[in-house]
Amino acid sequence: MSATQEAAEVAMPERPGLLARLLREPAAALSLFLVVALLLAAICAPLLAPTDPYDNDLTKVMQPPGSPGLPLGADAQGRDMVTRLLYGLRVSLLMGFVAVLIGGGLGAVLGFLAAFYQRWLDGPIMRLVDIMLSFPAILVGLAIAAIFGPGIFSVVLALSVATIPLMARIVRGSALVVMRLDYIEAARATGMTDARLIWRHLAPNCLSAIFVFATLRFGQVILLGSALSFLGLGAQPPVPELGAMASEGRNFLFFAPHIAVVPCILIFIVVLAFNILGDALRDALDPRLRL
Amino acid sequence: MTSAPLISVRDLAKHYPVRKGLILAKQIGTVRAVDGVSFDVHRGETLALVGESGCGKSTTARLVLRLIEPSAGRIAFDGNDITEVKGAAQRAMRRRMQIIFQDPFASLNPRLTVTETLTEPMVVHRIGDDASRRARALELLRLVGLRDFHAQRYPHEFSGGQRQRIGIARALAVNPELIVCDEPVSALDVSIQAQVINLLKDLQARLGLSYLFIAHDLAVVKHVADRIAVMYLGQIVEIAPKRALFEAPKHPYTRALLAAIPQPDPSRRGQVKPLQGDVPSPLNPPPGCRFHTRCPFAQDRCRVEMPKLRMVREGHATACHFAETLPLADLDFRSGLSTTAQMRLAIYENAKKQRV
Repeated sequence: MSATQEAAEVAMPERPGLLARLLREPAAALSLFLVVALLLAAICAPLLAPTDPYDNDLTKVMQPPGSPGLPLGADAQGRDMVTRLLYGLRVSLLMGFVAVLIGGGLGAVLGFLAAFYQRWLDGPIMRLVDIMLSFPAILVGLAIAAIFGPGIFSVVLALSVATIPLMARIVRGSALVVMRLDYIEAARATGMTDARLIWRHLAPNCLSAIFVFATLRFGQVILLGSALSFLGLGAQPPVPELGAMASEGRNFLFFAPHIAVVPCILIFIVVLAFNILGDALRDALDPRLRL
Repeated sequence: MTSAPLISVRDLAKHYPVRKGLILAKQIGTVRAVDGVSFDVHRGETLALVGESGCGKSTTARLVLRLIEPSAGRIAFDGNDITEVKGAAQRAMRRRMQIIFQDPFASLNPRLTVTETLTEPMVVHRIGDDASRRARALELLRLVGLRDFHAQRYPHEFSGGQRQRIGIARALAVNPELIVCDEPVSALDVSIQAQVINLLKDLQARLGLSYLFIAHDLAVVKHVADRIAVMYLGQIVEIAPKRALFEAPKHPYTRALLAAIPQPDPSRRGQVKPLQGDVPSPLNPPPGCRFHTRCPFAQDRCRVEMPKLRMVREGHATACHFAETLPLADLDFRSGLSTTAQMRLAIYENAKKQRV
């Protein structure tokens, strides 16, 4: 190693931070911008919305986008689509977040426990997961709605429950691979507690699988939530929810396609933005992919 | 070496049950991975465990560290029985024995920087504060021949040899007395192997470490070990000081291993008879002497009676009924080296000495 080369290595610049690494990739930067914009729009909906989401004006029923004062038109009840979308975004995002956070979190914990205490817990946990997997999400949603009554709470609960087994399986799989690696044994040889071992050595190395699945699932959950709303188990009219709005618009697809199409486009953008951001985050968090 | 051993292993065994059936699994057999192994390691000494793949070397290493639980036997560390210690006592024990792994690409957590990897054991054992731990990490890096600017890097930015050095530094972080080296150089290039081996010897001299050195490469073992234990199918068949083992191997298996060392002598070609057959399954080890299926000297007694490990000379024990009466010539590789080859080797040796 020559002297100059060595000097250059010694004076290595600070590693770029997480945000800088995210912004380097154009697609990631765009998705980050979109996600932030969507979150802000959802949070600030009451400030941004031109009207009240429940304000119907029968003179504006099914006005197409671009009508005066209605940039995205009005729905079958004559309510402003922009307002409805902003409030609908709130409900949908919250549903997706909470379901992925709770269901994914519990599922990940189960997966880690099954892999780490393979001898004692793997069998019981994975059989439980199999049982949970054998119920379709819709059926779980129906049962929960029957108990707690239809509404956002029931949908979130059903979606969380439906996410647990999937996440548990994925986390268990990748944790089992990591468990066989020597650095886990090295960590054990230092005498650390199981909790520290899982948190600091096992979990971070399963992060990419968790991230990919969580973002994928986020999109699925929003769509599933829409399906449940469509069945009348979720958001009850007149509460705006993107899936419910799309299903309401279905009846008018031939006269006023925008009522169904516009919420679908928004769902599409939300799901896509979160998926790309999740991918980018996974890469940015992996030290092996840093330059 | 008359002092009390640092670690003393007696009749250590690990049996894995083999089960069949989906729900109510029945045990259909037992894999005897390690079956009654006894040895001592003294302070400042290197005991090498050698043997072919699957003979139970690595299992023994992990049993000693209590990374897997033994099925039977006792382990004593510095006079204290550690076979069943738990909790705080086990943590204290872990601080005194560490491990170095074979595969430098799997032994470091890719998500932690070198500093984090090196300070982790100190954090676990609550040694020092953050600043002193960092200082210690740098000191460890220098100790293993790396440089300060390496501290902030991630494992993937290093070569195999450098990673192995980091692995060694991690093992040293808590000032252990015993280090179990599980084939620490078999995954490295030959030139890097020499560096790492010399580093290990150097550290041993400076820090007074004891090594339990697992290997299958006898050339490496010859360089590092003080004493050598040869394992076959989960048992020690011969244990002796290095010189005695290389000069006068008593067990036929040891002889076969030594004869299999490549010699730079073309006239040996065709003269060395490698062992016939495969290692029997540890699921169903042969009765009597476990080596009798492949032993060129096997007799009726060997097929029935299991030989005990017995002293044949001071410090030299072997598990063969006929250790004293075996003919020497058949597998004696030393006489196989022709005089011209010996002269040539002597010239090389001299040249090497002059250079140093």
